[in-house]
Amino acid sequence: MLEVKNLVKTYGNITAVNNLSFTAKPGKIFGMLGPNGAGKTTTIRTILNIIKPNSGEVLLNQRAVTKDLFNSIGYLPEERGLYKKSKVNDVITYLANLKGMHGHTIKAELDKWLKKLEIPHYKERKIEELSKGNQQKIQFISAVIHNPLLLILDEPFSGFDPINQQLIKDVILDLLDNGKIIILSTHQMDTAEKLCSEILLINEGKEVLSGELSEIKKKFGGNHVKFGYEGDIRFLNEMDEVISFDIYSNTAEVHLKDEVKPELFLKKIIEKVSIKHFSVIEPTLNKIFIDSIKNQKI
Amino acid sequence: MKKAFTVAKWEFFEKIKSKAFIISLFLTPAIIILFSVLPTLLATKESDSTKAVGILDLTQKYFSEYKSEIEQYKIGGNFPAYAILNNYKEDLSSDSLIKHADQMVIESRIDGYILIRQDAEDSIKVEYRSKSIGNFQDVARFEEAFNNLRIKRKLIEENANPALVEFIKNKVNVNQIKIEKPGEEGKSGFEPVFFSSIIFILLLMMMIIYSGQMLVRSMLEEKSNRLIEILISSCTPKDLLFGKVFGLSALGLTQIIVWLIIGISLIGAALIPMNAFENIHLIFIYFILGFVFYTTLFVGVGSIVSTEQEAQQITSYLSLLLVLPTVFIISALQNPESTIIKVLSYIPFTLPSVMILRVNVSPIPLWEIAATFLIMILSIIIVVNVSAKIFRFGILYYGKMPTLNEIKSWLKE
Repeated sequence: MLEVKNLVKTYGNITAVNNLSFTAKPGKIFGMLGPNGAGKTTTIRTILNIIKPNSGEVLLNQRAVTKDLFNSIGYLPEERGLYKKSKVNDVITYLANLKGMHGHTIKAELDKWLKKLEIPHYKERKIEELSKGNQQKIQFISAVIHNPLLLILDEPFSGFDPINQQLIKDVILDLLDNGKIIILSTHQMDTAEKLCSEILLINEGKEVLSGELSEIKKKFGGNHVKFGYEGDIRFLNEMDEVISFDIYSNTAEVHLKDEVKPELFLKKIIEKVSIKHFSVIEPTLNKIFIDSIKNQKI
Repeated sequence: MKKAFTVAKWEFFEKIKSKAFIISLFLTPAIIILFSVLPTLLATKESDSTKAVGILDLTQKYFSEYKSEIEQYKIGGNFPAYAILNNYKEDLSSDSLIKHADQMVIESRIDGYILIRQDAEDSIKVEYRSKSIGNFQDVARFEEAFNNLRIKRKLIEENANPALVEFIKNKVNVNQIKIEKPGEEGKSGFEPVFFSSIIFILLLMMMIIYSGQMLVRSMLEEKSNRLIEILISSCTPKDLLFGKVFGLSALGLTQIIVWLIIGISLIGAALIPMNAFENIHLIFIYFILGFVFYTTLFVGVGSIVSTEQEAQQITSYLSLLLVLPTVFIISALQNPESTIIKVLSYIPFTLPSVMILRVNVSPIPLWEIAATFLIMILSIIIVVNVSAKIFRFGILYYGKMPTLNEIKSWLKE
């Protein structure tokens, strides 16, 4: 279990992390969400003991994270990069060595992982000869090869095509079965929604929302409908039943007042535009994210 | 510490495999040999062809005897070193004779000519007139020959015993011998000392500057692609710093060993005098101490840069500190006991190169060697600690270079 208690980190006058507390449990993916500059990276760096917090503590299974625990932590930073001129095999071996692994274990694990990520033939190639996606896979391997207890993934899917995104997703879910603590930091709300069972939403260093995703959705509640249409739906602006709405290409997500019955709302709009499909939905994480951040600003 | 070793191993093997390193390994000694050994070789090498030299004796008293005096110099297989030509013609004025002889030099019909004339005070004036004035050996010979001639004449005039003439002609030269220990002679002469010192100092400098740049550049790479975050979430900044210093020092050692092998084979080829390698053990230790000192400094200071330009600035400032002592090479050779040299040999920045120089020039008391070793080791310990602190913050510092005040606050934490 990873416990972060009352974490504070300031840079001069700027408070990057403001009294943040959370707990991530094994066997679950903990989503750390927030807009750019919210303090996600600073929080991660503090957990990793890369930077020292002004106050607060980080405990992994009741032990403070110091260099003794380095071998139990895996980290995939948001900005990727490896020694470009060196060979895949050499780079991973070096990084695995630094995580306390030894010769033949590394070799066996490396072969296993290269095969799992479908790139066994790149073992002896130089990093710079690999495509961006394959370089990312190498970096992913270097974060997980030592079988860490705690795995921190910062935007693990960026830069992957949909097929590889699926591959990485499957691999992450596999890791979960082994009882790892996984922290996923991302902007991709749909991914977070599918993978995370608990989330922490932060903005300007402060907690905005936290807890079980299902709980949050229930709490956030509301009366949401989604429909596909053809025509002009600007009239939504004038409807009393509507609290807010988002329009995607020919699809709209509408937050209705609690007392409004969806079927009545449908009747009203069906007179104005042609409806292709209509459904009652839970609020998406994306919606929760945008609304929470907006509300906080007001 | 185990992780520091892992870092060291990585730094060592990745760099030793790089093409740039392999090229520098052989290019550096080649450049040094080219710049330091070759000129000496060329300067001391006797010319291998007979030179055409004219004599314009306006006094008309010396020509034939002077000619036979100069013709005693031989090259290679008993050929005369100089073919002498008489530039004097009776019916011409001295001015037009000089002009005519000058013309011959300009047209390269002769290499030069010796002009002998009487000046106002009735004393003899001799000039060697040629297109270049660099040939010290020729001039020295012409001077010796002319003085021999004058002395011989005077003695004969005074009816001295002809044996006396020969006796006076055989001059005794004073040789310079450097004493290392009672009864043990060191290398002699200015040139070997000068060149062996300068070779080691140049090697030290080139190695430090080269590996310093390599180090700063590789740190910049780790910083800009955030590999540094992976590294320091795997080991402590101190491990990383030690690892880098160890790795590079091992690389430096490898370089020296390769260069020594090259050096020894050059002695074999008689290109470098054997005595250039006296005191090699002391030089070696100063070399390593200097190298470790500067490498640690480079790691600390280099960690704060985040662009290629800043990296270049920093490395050139540090290199300047390193190059500074070369200004004092000549004065150190002439007067190794001078105050400035003594002072410089106790400042850690200049200590290694100045001591390499002093070790070469004159014997150094044991206490002084011990003291300088101690200073160097203490400075390395201080620099390691200061660098480790700067490094810890510097590697996570992006954007503009930190101010001195910021660095001070890092040192306090």
